[in-house]
Amino acid sequence: MKDSREKIFAAIRHGLRESKKFVAIRNDRSPLKRILNGGFASLFEKFNSELKSLGGEAVVFDDEKDASKFISGHAGERLFVYDEALSGHEHLIDEVSVPVSMSSNFNFGYDKRDAAVFDSALSSCIACIAETGTVVTSNNMRLPAALATKLFVIAESRSLIPSLDDLFKDEYKDFKGSNLFLISGPSRTADIEKELVTGVHGPKEVYVIFINKNE
Amino acid sequence: MALGSKHFKELYKREFENDQLRGNLKKATIQAVDKREESFAEVDFPFLQDQAKKIKQESISHLNEYLSRFDDMAQRNGCKLFYAQSPDEAKDYVLEVARKFDAKTIVKSKSMVTEEIELVPFLGEHGIDAVETDLGEYIVQLAHEKPSHITTPAIHKSRREIAELFHEKIGSELNSDPKFLTAEARKVLREKFLGAEVGISGANFLIAETGDVVVVENEGNARLSTSSVKAHVVVTGIEKVIPKFSDLRIFMRVLGRSSTGQKLTSYISIIRGPRTKTEKDGPEEVHIVLLDNGRSGLLGTEYQDVLHCIRCGACLNVCPIYRNIGGHAYGSVYPGPIGSLVTPLFYGLETARDLPFASTLCGNCAEVCPVGIEIHHHLLSLRHEMILAKKPWMERLIFRNFRKVMLRPRRYEFMGKVVRLFSMANFLKPFMKKWTAYREIPERPPSSFREIYRNNK
Repeated sequence: MKDSREKIFAAIRHGLRESKKFVAIRNDRSPLKRILNGGFASLFEKFNSELKSLGGEAVVFDDEKDASKFISGHAGERLFVYDEALSGHEHLIDEVSVPVSMSSNFNFGYDKRDAAVFDSALSSCIACIAETGTVVTSNNMRLPAALATKLFVIAESRSLIPSLDDLFKDEYKDFKGSNLFLISGPSRTADIEKELVTGVHGPKEVYVIFINKNE
Repeated sequence: MALGSKHFKELYKREFENDQLRGNLKKATIQAVDKREESFAEVDFPFLQDQAKKIKQESISHLNEYLSRFDDMAQRNGCKLFYAQSPDEAKDYVLEVARKFDAKTIVKSKSMVTEEIELVPFLGEHGIDAVETDLGEYIVQLAHEKPSHITTPAIHKSRREIAELFHEKIGSELNSDPKFLTAEARKVLREKFLGAEVGISGANFLIAETGDVVVVENEGNARLSTSSVKAHVVVTGIEKVIPKFSDLRIFMRVLGRSSTGQKLTSYISIIRGPRTKTEKDGPEEVHIVLLDNGRSGLLGTEYQDVLHCIRCGACLNVCPIYRNIGGHAYGSVYPGPIGSLVTPLFYGLETARDLPFASTLCGNCAEVCPVGIEIHHHLLSLRHEMILAKKPWMERLIFRNFRKVMLRPRRYEFMGKVVRLFSMANFLKPFMKKWTAYREIPERPPSSFREIYRNNK
């Protein structure tokens, strides 16, 4: 292996020996024609319109009970809840009538078939991007949210950022954990005659729930 | 290369005469082009193209430094790196990982590099069920075919053909509704995800600054292929490295728009390494196979910027040749205008001598290329190289004499008369059969411009 590595690096150095070294002058301005700014209301409007165009939905509730009722009304038969989703929102699943399992009940290296029994998952997120209707997650269990048919994401109003320019920055560069997932609406394909079909391997329904307690 | 792109001349005729195929292609590519244009309305495309091109120029002209930085960072993140000069080295390494985890089933997400090295049939020969999990790839795998488009592998197939295929291969009801067919594939592939020990993906970008692997997709199959397994193997080319995490703000905005007309693809996985101590699932090991296979040979040549390609497929959708013959005619893993460049450059001019001629040189491809590769100029240069290598004595003789004629007005006038005389006598017709098969010979003027000028003076 070392041999191949050295040979490839030698070939690269040889190829580039007389090449001009180019350094990109990066222009930090946003490529967006209309810069997104303003308060939560205008960013939420943009976020929701983008998410809706993708087949998802964003909602705002003033208290957790209403959010809980919304989840209960849309959840399927079994709900998986990431512990972090309840952080600061202890009453979020109070009104949920379907059976609920918490991520803390799962052991390290659990059997992956156990994650496949949930048709709904409730996750937290670390950011929401208004420009594209995207949620950014980084959970300590990847599978339940990826396998569920319905995905609920709890978001804080402060986590709503205007654009991709705000995500791909140092602040998010040093994320904890092994992965960062950007999710923009339901899973989709247009592989058959370019006809759009949602819910291929991942969630078919995506709901982003903002809880604006005192804001 | 399985098909051998030497056979382009035979293949394109077959595909061109297939009305069903041309109909499918026309519909799909027109829709892709419209969606692309619509999706760029909100952003400044020339700005993005300029920035993307410059960042790629920087990445490739410092490839040894950025690759080395990526190597350091990825190892620090707990990934294992393997460098492969040839497809065989890469395949042997993947097999080694599969055997280590006693893999009977491998789930694979879309990756052009794995097509390039023909990884799936190789694993099959070694008793491993390697399953394509992208819907389009799954369809072509069931049909024992090759993908015909970089981002829409089954673009050549109609819904009816797919329904018949599913009926025959996986016992589905004969129903050609894309929703039904997608649900059928989901059912079969879900079991594969849950049973697989190893997952394979490609990489759209490798970030030198952080050691991250970035995988872009829409279906959620790459997310599952990289999460539901004990080992994740990334198979990618050495040219995929980009300098900074913040560079993603440019590339993420151009990739989805250029490939499928989306502002952003449904899923972007930024993978930093194997599961951490606080994570309850995810792969125990992440292996990154970095393939050269002819890429380093382009460095320092006039074709160096071909390595900037981000495999979006935009050039295919706007190409008048591709739109009429599809991907299989190219006989190469990489079809369309970019394939006509990559194939002879990676594998040698002799393996694909017709491909640089599979272009009208209209320049549509360069116009839409998000990283600004001058594809049509490169194709012209390749043609030049091939002509020089071929030494066609007849063409040389003709052009030498043509030059002599064009430099002397009297000779030019005399030859004009001779040509008119011969063409009026239909003398040239038998020699121009190939030319006239699809074209009309221009009407012969009774006299030349000079004669008309002199007579009316």
